[in-house]
Amino acid sequence: MKKKLSIRNNGMIWILPAFLFLIIMIYYSIFFTFNLSTMDWDGLSPTMERVGFANYTKMFKDMVFWKAIKNTIVYFAITFVVQNFLGFVFAAILHSDVKLPTVHKCLIFIPTILAPATMAPVFRLMFSPQGMLQKFFDFVHIPITVDWLSKPQTALYVLMAIVVWEFTGMSFILYYAAMSQIDKEMLEAAQIDGAGNIRTLWTMVFPGCKGTTVSLAMLGVIGALKTFDIPYLITTGGPDHATEFLGTYIYRQGIRQSHLGYAAALSVMLLVMAVVGAFLTNKANKGD
Amino acid sequence: MLRIKSKRKKILLQILLFVMTLPYLLPLLQMFLGSLGGRGFYNYAAVWNTGVVPTYFRNSIIISAGVIFIVYVLSMTAGFGFAKLNILGKEAFFWLILVALTLPEVILLTPLFVTFQRMHLFSTFFSVIFPLAALQLPFTILLIRNFDAGIPSELMEAAKIDGATTTQAFLHVILPLTKPIGSAVAMLTLINSWNSYLLPLLFLQKPSMQTVTLLPQYFQGEFTNDQTKILAAAVLTAIPEIVAYLCMQKNFERGMSAGALK
Repeated sequence: MKKKLSIRNNGMIWILPAFLFLIIMIYYSIFFTFNLSTMDWDGLSPTMERVGFANYTKMFKDMVFWKAIKNTIVYFAITFVVQNFLGFVFAAILHSDVKLPTVHKCLIFIPTILAPATMAPVFRLMFSPQGMLQKFFDFVHIPITVDWLSKPQTALYVLMAIVVWEFTGMSFILYYAAMSQIDKEMLEAAQIDGAGNIRTLWTMVFPGCKGTTVSLAMLGVIGALKTFDIPYLITTGGPDHATEFLGTYIYRQGIRQSHLGYAAALSVMLLVMAVVGAFLTNKANKGD
Repeated sequence: MLRIKSKRKKILLQILLFVMTLPYLLPLLQMFLGSLGGRGFYNYAAVWNTGVVPTYFRNSIIISAGVIFIVYVLSMTAGFGFAKLNILGKEAFFWLILVALTLPEVILLTPLFVTFQRMHLFSTFFSVIFPLAALQLPFTILLIRNFDAGIPSELMEAAKIDGATTTQAFLHVILPLTKPIGSAVAMLTLINSWNSYLLPLLFLQKPSMQTVTLLPQYFQGEFTNDQTKILAAAVLTAIPEIVAYLCMQKNFERGMSAGALK
């Protein structure tokens, strides 16, 4: 009996170091945040005041919180579709007979490896009246002023374009890998039978990559909720909270304004949404 | 994948690919051209002559190396345990990892700020290395678990019959086969630790300890917002990453496909 138990448990020692590390760093922080979310604390005073769920009731009445949620949803819906569509099309084209595949692959993936902090000044310039877009519009005599980052109506869309630029490489590389597993002969047979390229892509290749699409959906949900660097560095959540996300709002409340209890309540909310989102997409994956 | 017969359509596809790729190149062009504005390559000399660039690079290298080391060791062992060994309550542990995967960096700031100050770890490299490694681990454990699951169990059983312990089987059978996923994990971890901005910004207060992602800000102060030099600094930080990626590109691709499929 004892022997059997030890065999059944022989993996524990292998995962234990990683788990201890995660518990100390991550689960401790989650616990700390839960506790802090019921406090009123400015980070400096030696005592915290317990306020129960006051921070949470404040949150539900906070217009900026809802604005951040709305921005996250719009942002996720649009970037998810555009980024994965582009990644999928790139993968299909680069699996076909084209010239210079490696050059294109690298150009698509390089944005993924560059730091948002490095690229932020570039994008601030690019989408300003001094940037290359403005020069282009001036050159072809189209009367457009490129001040989209300073306008609440357009700033979020510029950020989405930047995010798509950054993460298409990820979608591409995963679809590219998934497509190399698809049975080429079956596709050829369908094509000989007269199915067009777009039809085979839609009815055979895309369903064949379903697992990848689901993984990307899960990473996308988590990524959208985690969004911080790009809005913080390019627009700092503005103008007028037009590009506010939960991450930037937690930072604003917690680090900038020292409302640590309130920031913790926002953090708990963010974590709950991320876990529920991951759970639902994971379930969708197992569902069929 | 796409079946193209006529020569004309082949050329059209090539043009389509080029037109689609162009937007990915433009920001890089803007970065490079912008960095040459005003006094051309003199901007690079001005950035280099401040003397801070090597320091910031050194710090980023120290941090990335530390994070890669922790992540590699812990996720290799844990991924192996998950894929090939029996663990009581595996499902529960799996969920603990999934929850950790969803955790945004910004949530860690206050708890770690308070804790590191109490433990006198604040403003040491550890205060950035530990959280970065913890944030990276869940994803790399999942990748390695998926990869290891694809390795035939017979290989390990054969080694066991020959008298090898689990540790020996891991070191001599599994580890040599994990090179592709190992590169992918190292590359992803390098990207995330090299690119991390928020933790170094808040936890490394001394200028002598700051990292490359804080260079643009340094130059904003130093050159009173001279865009051209800020962009020259951006180019200098981007180059090592691009070179590292190009060197590991083949292995990285193979690892990502093997780890991510499932």
